[in-house]
Amino acid sequence: MKKNLKKLTALGLATVMCAALLAGCKGNDGQETETADGKTQLTIGIWDEKQRPALETMIETYTETHDNVEISIQTTPYKGGEYWTKLEAAATGGTAPDIFWINVLHAEDYYEGGILKDLSGAAEELDLDANFPEALISAYNMDGKQIAIPKDFDTNALWYNKEIFDKAGVDYPTDDWTYEDIVNTARELKEAGMDDGVWPFACPVDFQTWYYPTVYAAGGWILNEDKTETGYEDPKTQEGIQCWIDMVDEGLSPTAASLSETTVDTLFGGGQLAMVLAGSYMTPEYMSNDALDGKIDLVEFPEFNGVEPNIINGLGYAVYEGTKNEEAAIEFATWLGSSEAMKIQGESGTVISARNDTQHYFAESITEVNLAAYTNHADVANPLPVCKGAAELYDLEANKLKVAYAGEQSLADICKELKIEADALLAK
Amino acid sequence: MAGTRRLNRKKKDWIAAYLFIAPLTIGIFVFYIYPFIQNLWFSFNDVNKFNIATFVGLENYKELLQSKELWHTFGNTLKYVLVTVPVGLVLSLLIAALLNTKIKGKSIYRTLYFLPSVTMAAAVSMVWKWIYNDQVGILNGLLKMLGLPTQAWLTDPKLAPYSIMIVGIWMTAGYNMIILLAGIQGISRTYYEAAAIDGAGPVKQFFRITIPMLTPTIFFVLITSIISGFQVFDTIYMMVGKTNLAYESTQSVVMLFYRNAFDYGHKGYAAAISVFLFAVIMIITVIQMIGQKKWVNYD
Repeated sequence: MKKNLKKLTALGLATVMCAALLAGCKGNDGQETETADGKTQLTIGIWDEKQRPALETMIETYTETHDNVEISIQTTPYKGGEYWTKLEAAATGGTAPDIFWINVLHAEDYYEGGILKDLSGAAEELDLDANFPEALISAYNMDGKQIAIPKDFDTNALWYNKEIFDKAGVDYPTDDWTYEDIVNTARELKEAGMDDGVWPFACPVDFQTWYYPTVYAAGGWILNEDKTETGYEDPKTQEGIQCWIDMVDEGLSPTAASLSETTVDTLFGGGQLAMVLAGSYMTPEYMSNDALDGKIDLVEFPEFNGVEPNIINGLGYAVYEGTKNEEAAIEFATWLGSSEAMKIQGESGTVISARNDTQHYFAESITEVNLAAYTNHADVANPLPVCKGAAELYDLEANKLKVAYAGEQSLADICKELKIEADALLAK
Repeated sequence: MAGTRRLNRKKKDWIAAYLFIAPLTIGIFVFYIYPFIQNLWFSFNDVNKFNIATFVGLENYKELLQSKELWHTFGNTLKYVLVTVPVGLVLSLLIAALLNTKIKGKSIYRTLYFLPSVTMAAAVSMVWKWIYNDQVGILNGLLKMLGLPTQAWLTDPKLAPYSIMIVGIWMTAGYNMIILLAGIQGISRTYYEAAAIDGAGPVKQFFRITIPMLTPTIFFVLITSIISGFQVFDTIYMMVGKTNLAYESTQSVVMLFYRNAFDYGHKGYAAAISVFLFAVIMIITVIQMIGQKKWVNYD
């Protein structure tokens, strides 16, 4: 009797635990595509919590006229690659969100992985060529297929801390500034004497916001047309990188080593930087920083070599190949590219809407600062150079260039090594 | 007749026993054995981000063994193990021996030393990152106050590996200390009493009784810390960024694995890295298992 009881307990325990285990692995195999009241259910995957409210408003607006769908938002943090790891696993298991954000770094891999629906039909309906910046359309066009609808874009601009300028009695930057003006003003600020730990400017080893804009403005290049060769050995490319290294060498910026520990955003946010370059996506963070309240403003990226330098990059809305609600998903994705949706996004002030006729809403969302600095010359900005192994290439580049930033080797020598290794990487 | 009955009963006992261990075994199979086999299979394949595998034979291993990066990161890892394991062991043994004496506030000390072990490695790393910060870190602040030269603890390529080792030792010493303390308390008092009658002092007692009697525990601590030493990852991941000058001198094998698997999407190659590390750890552990017969005392 006692034995039996023991056995029963064992059986019971085993069943319960196995059930718990299995429940854990079950996943959404029988993914709900319809709610109880017969509505089609869509999921959209995003990574930025700050943009959630705007998306919620968009969904509300959309469902007012499309009452047969219900759309839920799935947010996964971008940091540490969590968003992509989860998306890749879900796509493999057939449970990825119907619609999700994608960026240029992952577009080609995902297209080749066969998990993105061809949205060429939607592109035609939206008349992409007429309504969106060319750089953003081509970033998501593979073999003639449009694999994502451009969502937003980011460019870079020069922010400054008025309090530090006032204290030093130096004039504020202006929209028509050139690179030489940054250097001269940084010198003036330094000579005027700033508080301990405060710097006139900062030059971290950062490609998108610092040296790529100037590399292209100098007439240099990173990747050739068919992505088989890198342009690090071109003296013009090096000119666009050297200009920032010079500022570190002159003591106008903290050392690159120190910036790898304390980021420029931390320094600027803490009132320890007079000027900083920043992508438009930094706007919400700077504007919501109480310590900077009313003390900051921005101007256009200063001209270099007589050219308006900038790098434009943006996200897209992609539709999952394995979606069970193809029609509804594509319809919603198309609507997300409409003026109506793009206006809501732009007015939220979180990002610059990609659609040409809605770009101005971002600048108008916050009138205290000159946000138009981001959009004024967006039409002449260069797209971020990308290739299939871009993540690896950027790592390699940063790893090599930091040695030149630290002054341990000349930029020309480093670029020679970098080109050999980078070209080998492209050949893989 | 009686024999078969006993056999039947035995069989029934087995069934019950298997049922009892089933939940754990199934868990291990699902979450360890199966992924392990899949990983092994992946290492012979070119695997893209969406787990689509194309068989490439030994290609990954060929590329891996020729890659400078592997031997470089392996060298870093080996150095990490060679420093943290002996230093960590001696330190935790010392703390354990001290906390076994009759001092006031013993349990407070035990808790304090054990605290890092129950704290998330990520949180520990973030705190140490600030301690080490060359501009605003309290370590450099302290040095400045004492009029000593400050250091770039995490960005000096020569210094950073040791800064990370210190955090590693600090994090694991408490756990090892608890295990060793339990071992020390398991040693019968009679040995010490007999030794005291024979005139042996505390130092002699420590080296002649405590250490020999503790060898099984020391052996356990040694094995586990070597294994976790080879797997060092989170502290480096959290404290050393990609543009850090000390990046090369601090990258471990697991960091190399992580970057290839999750940043670059070379899952097959990454699988080969993990199999390589597994083989290294296995060989070292086997050597230790054989070697222990010479010095571990199980009486």
